[in-house]
Amino acid sequence: MTDLLNQILTGLSIASILLLVSLGLAIIYGAMGVINLAHGDFLMLGAYAVWLMESVFGLGFLPCLILVFFIVGAVGWLVERTLIRHLYGRPLDTILATWGVGIILQQGIRLGAGAQLRYVKMPDYLVSPIHVFGVDISAYRVLIFAVTIILVAITYLLIFRTGFGIRLRAVMQNAEIARCFGINNARIYSLTFAYGAGLAGLAGALVSPLKSVSPDMGTNYVVDAFLVVVSGGVQSLFGTVASAGIIGEMSGGFAYLWNDTLARALLFFLVVVLIRFRPQGLFAMQLRRG
Amino acid sequence: MRQIFVTRGWILGYAVFALAILAVPLFIDDPYLLNKLARYLIFGILAAALSLSWGYTGILNLGQAVSFGLGSYCMAMTLKLRTIPIQTGAEGLPDFMVWNNVKMLPWFWEPFHSTAFAIAAGIAVPVVVALLLGWFVFRARVAGVYVSIITLAMLVVVNLLIIDQQRFTGGFNGLTDLADLKLFGIDFDPYSGATYYLIAFSLIATLIIGQLVIRSKTGLIMQAIRDDETRVRYFGYDVARYQIFAFSLSAGISGFAGMLYAMVMAFASPTFLSVQLSLSIVIWCAVGGRASLIGAALGALLVTGIQGSLSETPAFLNTWMLIMGALFVAVVLFLPKGLISILNFGMARLAGDTAMTDDDDEVPLAHGGKLGIG
Repeated sequence: MTDLLNQILTGLSIASILLLVSLGLAIIYGAMGVINLAHGDFLMLGAYAVWLMESVFGLGFLPCLILVFFIVGAVGWLVERTLIRHLYGRPLDTILATWGVGIILQQGIRLGAGAQLRYVKMPDYLVSPIHVFGVDISAYRVLIFAVTIILVAITYLLIFRTGFGIRLRAVMQNAEIARCFGINNARIYSLTFAYGAGLAGLAGALVSPLKSVSPDMGTNYVVDAFLVVVSGGVQSLFGTVASAGIIGEMSGGFAYLWNDTLARALLFFLVVVLIRFRPQGLFAMQLRRG
Repeated sequence: MRQIFVTRGWILGYAVFALAILAVPLFIDDPYLLNKLARYLIFGILAAALSLSWGYTGILNLGQAVSFGLGSYCMAMTLKLRTIPIQTGAEGLPDFMVWNNVKMLPWFWEPFHSTAFAIAAGIAVPVVVALLLGWFVFRARVAGVYVSIITLAMLVVVNLLIIDQQRFTGGFNGLTDLADLKLFGIDFDPYSGATYYLIAFSLIATLIIGQLVIRSKTGLIMQAIRDDETRVRYFGYDVARYQIFAFSLSAGISGFAGMLYAMVMAFASPTFLSVQLSLSIVIWCAVGGRASLIGAALGALLVTGIQGSLSETPAFLNTWMLIMGALFVAVVLFLPKGLISILNFGMARLAGDTAMTDDDDEVPLAHGGKLGIG
């Protein structure tokens, strides 16, 4: 029983990290039709930002989180304004351009901060485990879980309860008509991209104490996030959340039975089979793209 | 008349290119340099293969290195079994298996005692993988951007699997200490002229086969799919079948290139299936010209040539990658048809026709409406 519960909690922990990473990716794709291959590198940037602020400026971990969101968000905003903007309507080219941005960020960090692994110290008050339902879970994982829930809630409110959200949804449904109603599409796009990038940075900051920080850390996270977005269906917040949950639990379970790599391979295979029969994803909304 | 000049001009271009790469060994007697040039030509084959699927059919395969790597492992497996007995374990067991406590040759290694089987497998395995993946994604009518990220995900997964299955694949180190390929009484020493010619002829054959496909009716439909998939479907063509064909053809050629690469490098390792390599292939193709076979091949020669002629210290390589990233972004933004389009423009100018800047190699401009899946 405890084993099972432990396993479920491990799965939940994987799922919450997956969701953190996928959320920004899904929002950017859903709103703009742009697959952001630099997403993993925004994540890496977030992790390095925390490392820098913590080790050089001696900032606490939690204040770092908030700063990182804005720093990486600003980088994302800049990328959208200078580059992505010119590539709307050329979806394959946005993949290439963001991939190029990814390399530039990665190499920039490699040259600036060095290629060696960096470590972010976990705050002392989060090291000790918490006792829940007869099992011990690390306080840090609880923090990640809580932050994920808060972010999903904020995103939900942003999309469905604010003026910005109304305009965003209008642009998603039909960009041309939205423009006719006086919505500044360009502004919506750059803010959305910045928000998505900020989320990636935050995800990177949150995973940084769990593993070492390196210039190419983003790739692995972003590939898993792709699988989440593909299987969840785009433009569906619920789809992303649910599919992160399912994939997280499954990869936790498979990894328990075999190992991490085989779990990955099996999941990839399942997702490919899934899209054969449900190409729109598991929880896709019926939305017309304009 | 002008049309003929332009068409003939292209044939001339291909002929000059073919003669140029065949003439290279006459002027070079440094085996090390010849080996390096042979490697660049292999990259040319890879770039031309990607051009077939990306430039001509609109399938941006970000996992091209999967086919390349699988091909190289097939060749490496048979060459490994031929390595002189001192380096192998008991009863011809490869050394890394001995270190990993593998007692018997695994069943899927057995057929690789036959070189003919290995060569067939080096093409067949990537093709079958491409057919399977292609059947799943193209039959489901998955949108283009999804195909790209699925191929990228596959690359990462296959790479991890090969590293993970160390007992059978040599893990991180890969398959090293390979013997030379001996075929029809010729010893294809990696540093010999024979190997160079084999590779040069392979590149020429790739370009010819590619041209034959592009100029056939199938090739025409492939290009139509790139320009407007929906319209081709409304004409009653089975779009998925053509997409699967282009995807698998490209995979087969890449597998073949992988086999050549294992011969030239005398090893195969997971770096042959790295994201970095896959990215490089896309960059070569984009820089040279995605919708031109020879443009893509020249792009590969140019980029790798510059990279190889500069210093190879790690610090420099990092700066080089940074420059590549910037160059890549610039090409995507300002020169979507690659450098070959400049050449193209010049040739049309030479022909005295300012209006005809280039032929039908229109870069696909999908509209927002085609982004979704459907």
